[in-house]
Amino acid sequence: MTAAAAATETPGAERAQAWAVRATALRKKFPSRGGGVEALRGVDLSIGAGEIYGFLGPNGAGKTTTLRILTTLLPADSGEAVVAGVDVRRHPAEVRHRIGYVGQLGGADREATGRENLLLQGRLYGMSRTDTERRAGELIELLELSAFSQRIVRSYSGGQRRRLEVALGIMHRPEVLFLDEPTLGLDPQNRANLWAQLRGLRDAGTTILLTTHYLDEADQLSDRLAIIDHGRVVAEGTPLELKQRYPAEVIIIPKPGTAELGSLATDLECDPQVSRVHIDDGALRIQVPDPTAGLAAVIDRLRAGGVGVLRVSLQEPSLDDVFLHETGRSLRDAGDPAAAEAA
Amino acid sequence: MTLLLQTALLSRRRLLETLRQPIWVFMGLSVPLLYLALFAPLLTSLAGGPGFPTGGVLDVFVPGILALMAFGAGMGAGWIVIGELDTGVIERLRVTPASRLALVLGTVVRDVITFAVPAVIVLCVALPFGFHSHWGGLGLLVVLMTLLTAACSAGSAALGITLQQIGSLAAVVTGLQLPLTLLSGVLLPLSLGPGWLQGIGHANPMYYAVEAARQLAAGTVATGTVALGFGVTAAAALLAIWWATRAYRRAMA
Repeated sequence: MTAAAAATETPGAERAQAWAVRATALRKKFPSRGGGVEALRGVDLSIGAGEIYGFLGPNGAGKTTTLRILTTLLPADSGEAVVAGVDVRRHPAEVRHRIGYVGQLGGADREATGRENLLLQGRLYGMSRTDTERRAGELIELLELSAFSQRIVRSYSGGQRRRLEVALGIMHRPEVLFLDEPTLGLDPQNRANLWAQLRGLRDAGTTILLTTHYLDEADQLSDRLAIIDHGRVVAEGTPLELKQRYPAEVIIIPKPGTAELGSLATDLECDPQVSRVHIDDGALRIQVPDPTAGLAAVIDRLRAGGVGVLRVSLQEPSLDDVFLHETGRSLRDAGDPAAAEAA
Repeated sequence: MTLLLQTALLSRRRLLETLRQPIWVFMGLSVPLLYLALFAPLLTSLAGGPGFPTGGVLDVFVPGILALMAFGAGMGAGWIVIGELDTGVIERLRVTPASRLALVLGTVVRDVITFAVPAVIVLCVALPFGFHSHWGGLGLLVVLMTLLTAACSAGSAALGITLQQIGSLAAVVTGLQLPLTLLSGVLLPLSLGPGWLQGIGHANPMYYAVEAARQLAAGTVATGTVALGFGVTAAAALLAIWWATRAYRRAMA
């Protein structure tokens, strides 16, 4: 190979390797009376190897449908998806070898023991008997299943079953792990444990794609995330990047009897650190693009003006603000039960 | 090779499931024995009459009971499949590289075994009560009935995945059960009935299996009826397995 050829080919190859998941213009329509539901209207995704990628959106936004397409469960109407370097439409069987999947329903066999579930899973992936045994032992330790791994799954608590289901998903050491609402219905402690285990897997090199409709989960767990609504990705980036697009808000509650709030607002609006001020129920809500400098500037102005202050608080932008700005609705109100995720 | 291994793994899982619910093993055996004990005596006065050419009522009745057992052993598959749609088991298995045909055959093999074991017991019980043994015929009879079990099992699984709801499946299966079994002459041979009834019976695939089964029980092996019975039942089994495999490929919870 000539130097020139190497120079042109290598960067492309590297880029192809760095993406664990790439999807372009995925579309999916479900037939129904009334003309059909457009579940996906052109979803693009690029997920880097070794990151936890969150997929945040209300029920019915298209999260599960996207996941099902990427995991070979459902064919897309159009668009392309490459997972772990393999085209999903053309080589689904090859994709299945490289990915793990933990569905919303879980999928552990209720009438078998946890250990039997793991052993069958390993064998179905073509692992040898000894490798399967060893791996099952490893996962029973890693996910702390040993106390109940010999019991029938039907008797497990929700948290125990979820851990087993994650173990089933990673039994064959997949390159990419997909989880659909993995912490749904878990109590806070089990939730925190699962987060820690997923971070551990990520640190060991597994790429993780998970859907959630919990803001804090998307914010704290994902390295990067996409916000999806009505079948489209409306925002994409690290949680910090996304939040920094929107100003923080300083909220001032002046002491009772303070002079004209209106003139105070006009005064504050002149400050270069302040982008917008509005008065809301006796409080001043002051938008500041840079929270630290903005807060300092606001306090200086208040002090200079001799305004007595009862309370000051700083509200950093949340992912809900991002969602609100992109869709015009709050994520908390966006779940439309009628348009539940096309099962 | 992979298909064989996966089928073995999946049918082993199914058999464990069955063994853990001994009530089903017990019921599978008690129902045919109750038929033998409580229904067969009603037929004794018919011995030697029309439709009972060999004289022994059990020779006519036992093949019918075996067909009923095959139907019962196979038709349960749909219920289990719907349960597995609801708990995500099918979705999980569909993301593994496991062959979709193996997913179907795992259940079929289990159902064939849960038919065959009590069937042999029923045959052994019937022998001392005047059921005439013809070993070659009996062997072929059991094979024919396992084909019928396979057809019912795969058909029921395919129906379950397609309908997705226990209620709909129950309605369809109970709706089918009566015409399928009555019009195959499981309890009394259709040859006792008028021509129109026999005519309708010919549209029922199970009819050919039961007719062939009666001849096999009587020891006649090399007849057109037996060949037709095998042909129709094997075709039904293959068609049902194809249908179920297709349903697994597209299954959605």
